Amino acid sequence: MSPGLTRPGAALAVYGLLGALIVVPFLSFLAMSLYSVSGVVIDRSLTLANFARAASDPVLMGVFWRTILLCAGIALVTTLVGYPVALFIAGMRGRARYGLLTLMVAPLVLSYVMKIYAFRSILGGNGLLNRLLMGAGIIDAPSNFFVFNLNAVFLVLAVLLAPFAILPILLSLEKIPAALAEAAADLAASRWQIFRSITLPLSRPGIATALSFTFIMAIGDFITPQMVGGPNGFTFGRVIYSQFGLAFNWPFGAALGVLLSGVIILVLALALALGRVPGGATR
Amino acid sequence: MTPSRTAQVGLALITALLLIAIYGPIGVTVAGAFLPVKGGIIQSFAPSLTAFHTLAGDAGLIRSLVITLAVGAVATMASVTLATALALFTTERGGLHSRVVTVIVFLPFVMPPMVTGLALLIFFRDVGVDRSLLTVTIGHVAIILAIAYRSIVVRLTDLGRSLIEASLDLGASRWQTFARVILPNIRGSLLASAVLCFALSFDETLVTLLLTGTDSTFPIRLWGMTRLGITPAANAILAILLAVTVAASALAIAISQRRHAKDANAP
Repeated sequence: MSPGLTRPGAALAVYGLLGALIVVPFLSFLAMSLYSVSGVVIDRSLTLANFARAASDPVLMGVFWRTILLCAGIALVTTLVGYPVALFIAGMRGRARYGLLTLMVAPLVLSYVMKIYAFRSILGGNGLLNRLLMGAGIIDAPSNFFVFNLNAVFLVLAVLLAPFAILPILLSLEKIPAALAEAAADLAASRWQIFRSITLPLSRPGIATALSFTFIMAIGDFITPQMVGGPNGFTFGRVIYSQFGLAFNWPFGAALGVLLSGVIILVLALALALGRVPGGATR
Repeated sequence: MTPSRTAQVGLALITALLLIAIYGPIGVTVAGAFLPVKGGIIQSFAPSLTAFHTLAGDAGLIRSLVITLAVGAVATMASVTLATALALFTTERGGLHSRVVTVIVFLPFVMPPMVTGLALLIFFRDVGVDRSLLTVTIGHVAIILAIAYRSIVVRLTDLGRSLIEASLDLGASRWQTFARVILPNIRGSLLASAVLCFALSFDETLVTLLLTGTDSTFPIRLWGMTRLGITPAANAILAILLAVTVAASALAIAISQRRHAKDANAP
């Protein structure tokens, strides 16, 4: 159909290009995790020492599990907040629905760094958040709870990633045929029963996508922890990043990166399994 | 079937709180661009444009903006071209080719930017290419390729094969078929994916941070500016970006609505 694309050279060109652009870089990354470093030189004999070192380092493993916990918490909170918001938007019609959806999606286009910066400016010890909480009588003195630590990372990521939870849930809610709920109502099901036995189970693919999306985006980010995490809010991403900067141990950093990729692949597989609509195909 | 009135109020409340959480910090920061703000509290109502004047004189910032626009333009053109070729290849061949190409194309997109960035960083070092704007652009292509590919494949599949086969049966060459039949039909999806690719490239921070040499793109520059503290100049940047984003979104909405109206009026 298209110029030259049925000729044998086409396949060669396609795979050659994709190989150089994507496949070989990822393979180099895998290979690097099996190298070691002696002084400033990378020793290219294969070894699993990096993984052994990572697994036996209690501080590093502490950061690893804390990061997983943090990101699981972020995924859970964004989905728990995103679900009702998606339900609210799904129930609206016309202009109001369009406007609200735009309001939720618009911040995605705004510079990521600047959004985190905007949060920074209200978080500090003397920041607006503390003042509001004091004004409301919730706390008496400026609290350090959200001052540049993992709690701040949690808060910022939970808000910034919320649209990524809302969108897939909204999509799955829209796919539910209205006739199902109407039939259930005709059969005298209460609103709560309809939600429990129709809406919620049928929106499971959306929930699974929301959970996995937000988890993966949170765990792959090192800008937010770097900007609002302060000196002690270390996450796994920050540790990896530091191996390629100050610590300058690329093989070790690559091994940690492989570990992170493993977690992500696991989460994706889990999401795929959880996303099946009970008693039916995925679609 | 809509939720009950009380449930509806609860949902509205959660939505409102989320909107406050999203827009509150942005609003406070934008206010700080015009007014003296300390700790989120407006100190005095004396609006000034000093912060904007500071920006206009920041040559490094303006240079980074130019760099970002150039990188975005090149990366977008390269991705859309490459994605078109890949999409033509896979829709033509189908089967195993289609599955393999799709998995490869989506790999850098699905993996977190940090992993993709590190993979490219290690690769460039292995082949002896120094970090520069070239490596940044290649990194952007690797990430945004999936977006363009997906959109073009969907359009090509919708288009079907009959038009193309008819064109070939009528004696058109493959190039003629591509230029006169395929291209006009996929133009919309090319344009839409180009816009999306450019937007993604413009804001790409993580991969860029890993792959850039001495030149800073706009997000990297912003990162450097905002890491240390709150400044009126940084606040002013947010105000400008917000204005540009709102204007661009409004334009996009207007264009898509006009297109819908046109489609509705078409016979």
